[in-house]
Amino acid sequence: MAKTPAGIEIPEIIPDKCIGCQICISKCPVEAIKLTPDGKAWIDPEICEGCGQCAEVCPVEAVDLDRTERIKAGKRLRDKPFTPVSGQVVSVYIEIRNGKAADVSWELVGKARELADKLEARLAAFVLGSDVEEFCARAGSLGCDEVHLLEHDTLKRYVSSLYGHALSELAHKVQPEILLMGATSHGRDLAGVVATHLKTGLTADCTGLDIEEDSGLLLMTRPTFGGNIMATIFCENHRPQMSTVRPKVFPMPGLNEKKWKLIRHAWRPPESSVPELIAFIEDKSLLGIDITEYPVLIVAGKGACSKDSFPLLEELAGLLGGVVACSRPVVESGLMPYERQVGQTGKTVAPKLYIGVGVSGAIQHRVAIQGAERILAVNNDPDAPIFQVADAGIVGDYAQVLPELISRLKAKVKNHE
Amino acid sequence: MHIVCCLKQVPDTADVKIDPETNTLVREGLESILNPYDLVAVEMAVRLKEKHGGRISALCMGPPQAQSVLRQAMSLGADAGILLSDRAFAGADTLATSYTLAQAVLILNRKTPVNLIICGKQAIDGDTAQTGPGLATRLDYTQLTYVTAVESFDPKNKLIRIKRRIEEGQEILEAELPALLTVELESARPRRASLPELIASMRKDIEVWDKKKIEGDANQLGIKGSPTWVRKMGAPPPRTSGPRFEAAKGLREAVDQSLDIIFADGFMAEELGIPTGVHHGKDSRGN
Ligand SMILES: Cc1cc2nc3c(=O)[nH]c(=O)nc-3n(C[C@H](O)[C@H](O)[C@H](O)COP(=O)(O)OP(=O)(O)OC[C@H]3O[C@@H](n4cnc5c(N)ncnc54)[C@H](O)[C@@H]3O)c2cc1C
Repeated sequence: MAKTPAGIEIPEIIPDKCIGCQICISKCPVEAIKLTPDGKAWIDPEICEGCGQCAEVCPVEAVDLDRTERIKAGKRLRDKPFTPVSGQVVSVYIEIRNGKAADVSWELVGKARELADKLEARLAAFVLGSDVEEFCARAGSLGCDEVHLLEHDTLKRYVSSLYGHALSELAHKVQPEILLMGATSHGRDLAGVVATHLKTGLTADCTGLDIEEDSGLLLMTRPTFGGNIMATIFCENHRPQMSTVRPKVFPMPGLNEKKWKLIRHAWRPPESSVPELIAFIEDKSLLGIDITEYPVLIVAGKGACSKDSFPLLEELAGLLGGVVACSRPVVESGLMPYERQVGQTGKTVAPKLYIGVGVSGAIQHRVAIQGAERILAVNNDPDAPIFQVADAGIVGDYAQVLPELISRLKAKVKNHE
Repeated sequence: MHIVCCLKQVPDTADVKIDPETNTLVREGLESILNPYDLVAVEMAVRLKEKHGGRISALCMGPPQAQSVLRQAMSLGADAGILLSDRAFAGADTLATSYTLAQAVLILNRKTPVNLIICGKQAIDGDTAQTGPGLATRLDYTQLTYVTAVESFDPKNKLIRIKRRIEEGQEILEAELPALLTVELESARPRRASLPELIASMRKDIEVWDKKKIEGDANQLGIKGSPTWVRKMGAPPPRTSGPRFEAAKGLREAVDQSLDIIFADGFMAEELGIPTGVHHGKDSRGN
């Protein structure tokens, strides 16, 4: 049996069995199957990647493929480290869930473009899922040179083992120097699987990425020890250099006019047990509110965590076109849902304006507000650490300060009527 | 039924500081604790054992003094404490750590098959949340991260049903055993050990396994098996702070003066409709 360059067996059509139904032709992700003049399917060994989907759909078992060999080959292929050979590639995994791409993926495309330019490398995006081709054009328009698309029915819903297998295989094919992913629950779950398959280094939750001048290595900076310390980490001898980055650390890139190309890939899922989704409980309290999306955040701390403070906070937020967020103790008290939590174990935010009310400014909170453009703090303790990072502070009881703040802002802001 | 809990001893991060002179960690006076997420993992294992019987092995890679976290786990109900300790394990990043733990689980598995591994969601010193997925991948266990509750557990039919948190809400998943969970803080409120339990745990034996015992490949252990290196450590970049105004000395002045600073240079004037003489097209970050 013929083999692909990666050593994977290529299936063959048994002409006597083939009835020319063309189902395999429609299923082949790389268009390797053609119809011969006598009405039989024929697999072009130059194009075929050996995924075996044709064998799966063939109604008359006319596709000859040794499956056990294929599965073994797949395992060999992905559970091995690799050294990039041809031309350098910087890559970004585009996270798609429920038919929506995560903004952090596009933010990373923007940053990766910078890194690729420094390395004079190509920028590649990996788009995985089922029915996700529409996202490729977006990746291209934001500056990718090539977009690698891997579609399969089993990738409709995120499953760690399947996505991990698929992305590891793609990485083997494309051999990127660098692979970046969003530090979302999906991205962090997946990155750990992929790095383990590829036997490479992974640095989580980076807040800074750069290329070192002489070595060309990726320098990854991240907060560690609960945000008390910044560590710069590198991965010298293993590839790809992998990193996850939190949403909102890098800005959204603008459109890029450059040409890009789409490359489709075939894939055969491994035989593994897949958890079944029994139910999904949408968090009603969210109702589409993502605190990272708002230009102004009014952040309630434990010192302003009571039933009567919230109407004031809401009014202030409304006045400024913002939304109320909070510190961890407020979530623990049950007054706000987890999704509104700012901090190391909550969300990293980068609003234009952050107003902290009764927030002490613990390090685990402060690390997540570094990107705020301006910070105003209201706290009755003049020594609260939040004042060290605030552009202006008001020392006083929120019950007094907030009504005054609201009335003075009403006088200043004309848009609230 | 056999549950393995993976534990890490961590410095109490609230106290960690960098020496501004030398740019290194100040280690004096740093207290070591059981990673809070891992404490929840032990609690969850103990609850499952109380309901379904079986055995809990607590596993910790670390220096000899890390045995205290294993004793803590045993005081709460773990049956065995195994310390993976060898100079060859030192300096491990998450890839080498998941390798070392996987080797140990494979050894445990020979005696009593391991149906479930429970890890904390992340460790509070590194916050990487990578060791769990790495371990699940190496062992080919079903990976279930960010677990907030175990809804049902059915070792006979090899099934577990859990709730896990993702950005938009909670998923309920049913998965096949063997599985690996990484758990969130709210998934189980840890109990306190009673005095007799504490005393009893002090007398229990902790097994110490070295690289020979876990049949480790020297190239995959510790610093040798770790692709990532720390190039430098430093204090986070400081943010410059502005003035503070005392409400007690005049509420209106304090509010007005702070608002003047915040909205200086026409900041957000356009969005909010604040009248301003000067118009700045760029904001202070220049973008
Ligand atoms: C591993 C780990 C992860 C963590 N992750 C997060 C996280 O993601 N997000 C987070 O926020 N925290 C997190 N924390 C907790 C963090 O350490 C702090 O405990 C928390 O941020 C404190 O919240 P706070 O400022 O609201 O409360 P406090 O620290 O209790 O501060 C309350 C403040 O309100 C002031 N105050 C009281 N009364 C009034 C009043 N009437 N008017 C005005 N001011 C008043 C007080 O002076 C005080 O400064 C984490 C901790 C750990 C160990």
